[in-house]
Amino acid sequence: MISLSNIKVCFGDFVALHDISMTVEKGEFFTLLGPSGCGKTTTLRTITGFIKPEIGSVKVGDEEITHLEVEKRNIGMVFQNYALFPTMSVYENIAFGLKVKKMGKAEIKSKVDEIASKVELDQDQLGKKISQLSGGQQQRVAIARALVTSPPIICLDEPLSNLDAKLRVQLRNELKELQRKFGITTIYVTHDQEEALTLSDRIAVFNKGKIEQIGRPDEVYNQSASEFVCNFIGDINKLSKDFLDKAGAGQRGIDTNKSCYIRLERMYVNNHQENHIDSEAVVENFEYYGLYIKYTINAGGTQLKVIEKNSGASMYKMGESIKISFDPASVMQF
Amino acid sequence: MKYLQTMNRKKLVVGLIYLGLLWFLLVMLVIPNINTVLFVFWQDGQFTLRAFERVLNSTRAMNALRNSFVLAPALSITVGFIGVSLVLITEYFAVKGSKILRLGYMTTLVYGGIILVSGYRFLYGRGGYLTNIFAAINPYFNVNWFEGFWAVLFVMTFATTGNHIIFLRNAMSAVDYQTVEAAKNMGAKQFTILRRIVLPVLIPPLLAVTIFTFMTALTATSAPLLVGGLNFQTINPMILQFSRMAGSRDLAALMAVFLGVATLILVALLSRLEKRGHYLSASKVKTSIVKQKIHNPVVNVLVHVYAYFMFVVYVAPVVLIILFSFTNSATIGRGQLSFSAFTFENYVNVFSRVSSYRPILVSVGFSLAASIAVAVVVIVVCRMITKHKNRLSTVIEYGFMIPWLLPAVLVALGLITTFNQPRWFMMNRVLTGTMIIMVIGYMIIRIPFTLRITRAAFFALDDALEDAARNLGAKSLYTFFRVILPIILPSVLAIFALNFSQLMQDFDMSVFLYHPLNMPLAVQIQTLTEEAAADNTAITFVYAVLMMVVSTVVLYLVYGRGSKVRE
Ligand SMILES: Nc1ncnc2c1ncn2[C@@H]1O[C@H](COP(=O)(O)OP(=O)(O)OP(=O)(O)O)[C@@H](O)[C@H]1O
Ligand SMILES: [Mg+2]
Repeated sequence: MISLSNIKVCFGDFVALHDISMTVEKGEFFTLLGPSGCGKTTTLRTITGFIKPEIGSVKVGDEEITHLEVEKRNIGMVFQNYALFPTMSVYENIAFGLKVKKMGKAEIKSKVDEIASKVELDQDQLGKKISQLSGGQQQRVAIARALVTSPPIICLDEPLSNLDAKLRVQLRNELKELQRKFGITTIYVTHDQEEALTLSDRIAVFNKGKIEQIGRPDEVYNQSASEFVCNFIGDINKLSKDFLDKAGAGQRGIDTNKSCYIRLERMYVNNHQENHIDSEAVVENFEYYGLYIKYTINAGGTQLKVIEKNSGASMYKMGESIKISFDPASVMQF
Repeated sequence: MKYLQTMNRKKLVVGLIYLGLLWFLLVMLVIPNINTVLFVFWQDGQFTLRAFERVLNSTRAMNALRNSFVLAPALSITVGFIGVSLVLITEYFAVKGSKILRLGYMTTLVYGGIILVSGYRFLYGRGGYLTNIFAAINPYFNVNWFEGFWAVLFVMTFATTGNHIIFLRNAMSAVDYQTVEAAKNMGAKQFTILRRIVLPVLIPPLLAVTIFTFMTALTATSAPLLVGGLNFQTINPMILQFSRMAGSRDLAALMAVFLGVATLILVALLSRLEKRGHYLSASKVKTSIVKQKIHNPVVNVLVHVYAYFMFVVYVAPVVLIILFSFTNSATIGRGQLSFSAFTFENYVNVFSRVSSYRPILVSVGFSLAASIAVAVVVIVVCRMITKHKNRLSTVIEYGFMIPWLLPAVLVALGLITTFNQPRWFMMNRVLTGTMIIMVIGYMIIRIPFTLRITRAAFFALDDALEDAARNLGAKSLYTFFRVILPIILPSVLAIFALNFSQLMQDFDMSVFLYHPLNMPLAVQIQTLTEEAAADNTAITFVYAVLMMVVSTVVLYLVYGRGSKVRE
């Protein structure tokens, strides 16, 4: 549907994007994930045309749009703060893109009404001022405004980042629902890994203007392509060489000279399985999360974290000796 | 390539706009001032210091210079004292009726400049209402008492405290009441707290506003002109006189340049002061001031007496002007109010005689034209400096602030001396004595204020709005008119209204640039005042009331309800 090939973007001497290539399929929910300043917005702005790349090309289908002006691209965009026009009503905001196209009044009205009902805004709300809407309603207006011109692609730049935690989860679900309903190709920017994992069909993990990995959520989580990716996504234990050597991991297919990582939930407490590597440890501290309990343990000088599902049974005490074990296949080596 | 064609067309338009702005900057703001300087130092094709010699040898010029430099510090002191005392009365101490008092002290914001001066002259001058009362009480009272240095000082003190009070009031709100409570808690006495805690916070803004007062005094025009008498003329009235005599233009120019240099130094001082910054409150949660009761009963009574006396001084002229505007000329002549003399005659007269209402039309016309023009030019400037950040836009941004550094006289003289002959850069049109030069002059003096506020409005705009509009397919111009302009419109309208009301009252610029056939209101008031016939007085009062109404309405619209603009 849309593809970037070998994009390079510079601001003066600073290279913001090095050699970015990716292809987003039709109807896909594609997420750009990465820490602040890694180039997510820059990538999105290259797609929407606000930034012209030094090198590389942007294609929608077979059409090359690298040098097409912003106004002519018809790629929908939802801004971080929604960028709704404060002096216009909700209706006028949604109608803006159609009016620019010099569409007739009646046609505009029917299109606005149609999209409004899809995003569940009623006639009453259409007449309101932007400032009279809640955060969630504003988001729906922004989406309606971006979709009313039926663009083939919609880009969203951290649309949930300035909402409080609870609303964020609620709107996240609404957003996914809408995306399914419209079946529209979506490029979504976030620095929140949980958002990325829960929403996306595929994720591109960015770091310092480069893509580290593109893959399904389970791929980037379980088979991280780089040390950066496995550290950025989810919680992880770094296994020291000392710990691995003591546990005899070298004989079990692990190169102890490499950087080795394992997810917290892949370490078991007092639950040895046949092919597991195991080690003695002492409970140092715990954090109670309700759903699960996160223990900080010390295994012969290496600090690790493990989690236990909250079964209602008694918890391990501080200072208690435990036995931990893990499958060598769960270890990611770089 | 179509893409390249549109790119080039856009570039061409932007280039033309830049060219236009650059032309305005050079021809209106730079060249005239350079020309004035040249006019002083360059005569008959060679460098000369003759103008200096002439100023040094002219007793009148030297007196004017000396008078200005006597007036400036004197005014700084009186305004400082009265300003601080009034702010303490309305904002810090618990004085009964402080809301009414504050309104009274602010009246000079509504009737400033020439109306105030002529109003004061009608009340305190020879044959004035109050002078008559004084003379009736004391037969030896000198009826010409209201003339010269003290009269100028008196008038200007009350004319300039209004701004002073506004400024200090803002500063006062920066006082953290917790620090006052802490001092009390440690056992400090009331006046120790005032001296050690409250006043120090006020000192940096007080210094700034004092410099401002100093500048105002140096460039005083209407007060010395109307109540200075023969012995107390200052720089600006002198420049005015010199500029009207063909042989003395260089003297006028030199004195204007001198004033410009003085202003420049003061502005530099001011910005250094601002850079040093104010005292910031260290506490996270600021508590606002609780009015302090004055413990000492004697002091308390004295403060109340002073507060209400000042109230009368402020309000009496306004009330009397309004009352007298509704009496016949005979009553005005006698200076004695009586109920039976009440009439609308003056208002009817003003609006039925062409010669009387013409100045109103002239002022409205010029002020309107200039307010619109300056708004448009400044919006274009702001659009360019926010959209394109390059060296040229920076030059334009700073260039347009030039008038802030220059007294109105200098600007006026520059325009007169530059455009009294055909210039190729003005399409060979002579402007001196035309209506255009008035509009240009009016525009120039309102540029700095307009630019500051408009720029702030533009910078407060969210860039994403414009991106969003483009993303939805809107062209640059469409985006500007449909998205950007509606958002900044409230600010623009507020600035427009303030500019209009200020220009309606303008004297300093008008008096240099007006054409005798198109006399603006302020100049007309001055002329009428000089002739001092009772009939003229009645007309002046009507003018004054009209101007007060305009500025009251404007101030109410702009600041009264949820203010959008702060100076
Ligand atoms: N107009 C610009 N001029 C100069 N540098 C820029 C510009 N825009 C972005 N950058 C730089 O490019 C880098 C990438 O910026 P970008 O906005 O794409 O980051 P981001 O991944 O969206 O980060 P965030 O999560 O903070 O939004 C940053 O280092 C930023 O400072
Ligand atoms: Mg960003």
